[in-house]
Amino acid sequence: MLFSVILFFLAILGAPLFAVIATSAMLGFSNLETDLMTMALELLSIAQMPFLAAIPLFTFAGYLLSESNAPKRLVRLTNAVLGWMPGGLALVCLSACAFFTAFTGASGVTIIALGAILYPALKQDGYSDSFNLGLVTSSGSLGLLFAPSLPLILYGVVASVQIDDLFLAGVLPGLVMLVMLSGWSIWVNRHNRKPLSDFSWREVGGALREAAWELPLPVVVLGGIYSGFFAVSEAAAITALYVFFVEVVVHREIGVRELPRVIRESMVLVGGILIILGVSLASTNYMIEAEIPQKLLALVAEFVSSQTSFLILLLIFLLILGAILDIFSAIVLVVPLILPIAAGFGVDEVHLGIVFLAAMQLGYLTPPVGLNLFIASYRFNKSIMDVYSATFPFLMILLLSVILITFWPELSLIFVAGH
Amino acid sequence: MKDTLARLEAAGRFVESAALVVLLGSMILLSVAQIVLRQLFDGSLVWADELIKIIVLWLAMVGSIAAARDNRHIRIDLLSHIMPPGMVMLARVTVDMFAAAVCAVIAWQAWRYLQLEIEFGETVLVSKPAWIAHIIVPAAFLIICYRFLVDSALEFRRFLTRAKARSDK
Repeated sequence: MLFSVILFFLAILGAPLFAVIATSAMLGFSNLETDLMTMALELLSIAQMPFLAAIPLFTFAGYLLSESNAPKRLVRLTNAVLGWMPGGLALVCLSACAFFTAFTGASGVTIIALGAILYPALKQDGYSDSFNLGLVTSSGSLGLLFAPSLPLILYGVVASVQIDDLFLAGVLPGLVMLVMLSGWSIWVNRHNRKPLSDFSWREVGGALREAAWELPLPVVVLGGIYSGFFAVSEAAAITALYVFFVEVVVHREIGVRELPRVIRESMVLVGGILIILGVSLASTNYMIEAEIPQKLLALVAEFVSSQTSFLILLLIFLLILGAILDIFSAIVLVVPLILPIAAGFGVDEVHLGIVFLAAMQLGYLTPPVGLNLFIASYRFNKSIMDVYSATFPFLMILLLSVILITFWPELSLIFVAGH
Repeated sequence: MKDTLARLEAAGRFVESAALVVLLGSMILLSVAQIVLRQLFDGSLVWADELIKIIVLWLAMVGSIAAARDNRHIRIDLLSHIMPPGMVMLARVTVDMFAAAVCAVIAWQAWRYLQLEIEFGETVLVSKPAWIAHIIVPAAFLIICYRFLVDSALEFRRFLTRAKARSDK
């Protein structure tokens, strides 16, 4: 008990999370009189998990994309297609960010890569400063329910759920978030009657031609996986090779000399996630050995009896969790614990994954540790309090959508075979 | 002395980046080769899948070493926004010492495990000794341990410099 309190304090003082988790696992092992060598065995099981190769490959592809001019081309294209609508630029911002985040894995690069282009453009178009700030900040994590986002893959790996099922399950819930935020953006700006730009086929054609090389990407990833042509990790390899070819060889926007830096930056993120995965495997194993999931289930069952009340409890728990833990750590650490409990209440594991990620997405925007808040505050030179208050309405809309996603399982499961 | 240390740092960073480039590059090529072989020639390299998984382990470990150098390991960091700067520095000294100690323990345990593997003649990739693939784990944790020790010491020095500057005023 004393140890746990000390560990907790070390964690909130800023100790590296992997060290905290490793310590709690090793303390647990020594309680059970298990040899601490087990720690090594658990870390080595990183080399046993299927599909894990997809994580470094997609991360690398995402970093390459964000360093090239692909964000500019994406914004131009969405602007050509959506810009003529009332509130058009807000819609452009939301959809471009969602698309981009799906490919870059919701690690904050969206705000840096796209925000820099969109923020001034929104301002120029007469949207209020506070609206812009909130929009760009909350768009930064939108799209993590769309394939092939890293959190989806990581959940699949940790929960041993088919990753292609998760990719399908995320489509409608992700769209719900997108549509609700779009609707709200249009509503807020209904009095902003600036002359709408004209829809021009020529501009659409130009933007299409400019983005011609990147356009096949979604087809390569999703088409390849669903036609059974290749597995998720193979799709990741093809994506990485293709993006490399397009940005380095065709567009030459990233020089060969810059590649080691981009690779290093992306692999630093991967290393940080996978080391936490490794030590979490150990702590999970200890918890299973100590029958903690069963005890938790019994405890929860004392308070709640129906699936609905369980989901309410789960949602509250996840929102708190999201406010203090980043999405990757939360997945590897908490999913193994709640998976059996959720199964006990008849919650489908695919649906659970979507609820988990959707709720954790709010964590990017909630104080005190919301990553996007800090990135936006730093990137746009605003005080953190300004970013909080600007983001708050968007946070409420997203909360509504998460509630909808949680209590409407068909939204996630309709496309998933066997459900 | 300072020069040697700076050169060591530069060399270390170079080795990490080079290793990451080679690992990621070979992983992409291996995966693509597998797809081509399967779709066009109906064949495959039997050892490729296992090798890819070992490369994932190495990427994770070398990536972690690089993350330690770039100070990019995931932290919760709840209090640093509200504590006074001096306290933040002392907290950093403490938690990095703690992390170094944890890494030392893991490195030691992984080393013990490696010796068992050698003793029992465990193999990977059909017939290669497993310890060659697995040595990265104790090695990485040892290096990460060193990094946290250095960072902790540097932070402590910054704290002392700051305290001195304040008392001089």
